[in-house]
Amino acid sequence: MTVRSDNLEALMQQALTGDQAAYAKVLHATAQLLRPFLSKRLLFANDVDDVLQEILVSIHKARHTYDGQRPFTPWVYAIAKFRLQDYLRSHYADDIKHAVDIADLENDLSEDVTETGITYESISGEVAKLPEKQAAILQLIHQEGYTAKEVAAKLGMNESAVKVAAHRAYKVLRKRLEET
Amino acid sequence: MKDIDDLIGQLAQEGGAVKPAPHPITLSLKWMALSAAYLLVLLLVSGVRNELAAAFEHPWFAIEVALLVAMFIATSVSAALLSFPDMYQMRRAVWMPMAVFGVFACVLFMAWRADIPPAPLPVHGFECTLAILMVALLPGTWLLYAMRKLASTHYQWAGSIALLHAFSVGALWLRLQENNDSILHVLQWHYLPMIGFGILGLWVGKLILKW
Repeated sequence: MTVRSDNLEALMQQALTGDQAAYAKVLHATAQLLRPFLSKRLLFANDVDDVLQEILVSIHKARHTYDGQRPFTPWVYAIAKFRLQDYLRSHYADDIKHAVDIADLENDLSEDVTETGITYESISGEVAKLPEKQAAILQLIHQEGYTAKEVAAKLGMNESAVKVAAHRAYKVLRKRLEET
Repeated sequence: MKDIDDLIGQLAQEGGAVKPAPHPITLSLKWMALSAAYLLVLLLVSGVRNELAAAFEHPWFAIEVALLVAMFIATSVSAALLSFPDMYQMRRAVWMPMAVFGVFACVLFMAWRADIPPAPLPVHGFECTLAILMVALLPGTWLLYAMRKLASTHYQWAGSIALLHAFSVGALWLRLQENNDSILHVLQWHYLPMIGFGILGLWVGKLILKW
């Protein structure tokens, strides 16, 4: 279902009068409009979904600030940018809070996991349960043989971020394997 | 994708009729009317300076008061626009207080240069800042409360402009009430603290207007 952007103003005006079907159409069209915008700015599909959900809830909360007398899409994008910045700010603040000493990472990454009798294949089930980003990094490093630097280039991240994500993944895996 | 569809379904069900917020110009006129009424009541209670008519014959004083009124209007319009996520797509008008402030600073500088010999400094000092603060509390509180009902995406800036509006009410009241011609005194105890409170508004906005 594609709604022309010039119809969105009219649909939103209907939605404000309590027309639930029109409101659902507006929200669907908005989600379609924003998905590529978010995909360009966020690396992983589940991040895109999370932020998109937050934006839709924000649009719902702020819908009384739209009166149908001005273009709809700049109003939507203003909210989308606001929520995206909020998300990125808290995401990076969290990264800094949980930052790990790079020296520790070098030790972890130099360990050869195959020497411990554990192969990537034997723990791939556990790896698949990790967050999407961490699983992708481990797969690229241990199954496909890329270096952290190559993984960083491939995923559009910086090398330190790849090492930090890998380190976190190792910690989670270690804990899970110790429990089993 | 299913989560998004579920969410849309849920939001659509909750989406009853909503009364759109008034146009920002209507909102700012309402806010200005309330602030002006408050200022008028204050002046009626406290009285105006006894040589007010004579003071207005001094061009620098008349320009200063006119610019304070311009600041009062500009901050009200800007606060109303900043309360909308997209600034009602009138981004340029949001900058009005900065332009007024620039002219105001130039006028104060020229008034200071023209103050020869300097008018005597009053014996009081921080009491003026305190009085402006007390007067600004009420308009500041209700303006932030009114803005909170909308949805600012520039909440820090919005908080700062809201406090500047409230302090322009306080500054206007004191300028019309106090028998004082010292430009140095008004700079030090009226307008510099006002800038300080404008900066404090960045934090207040984050605290109150974030949604």
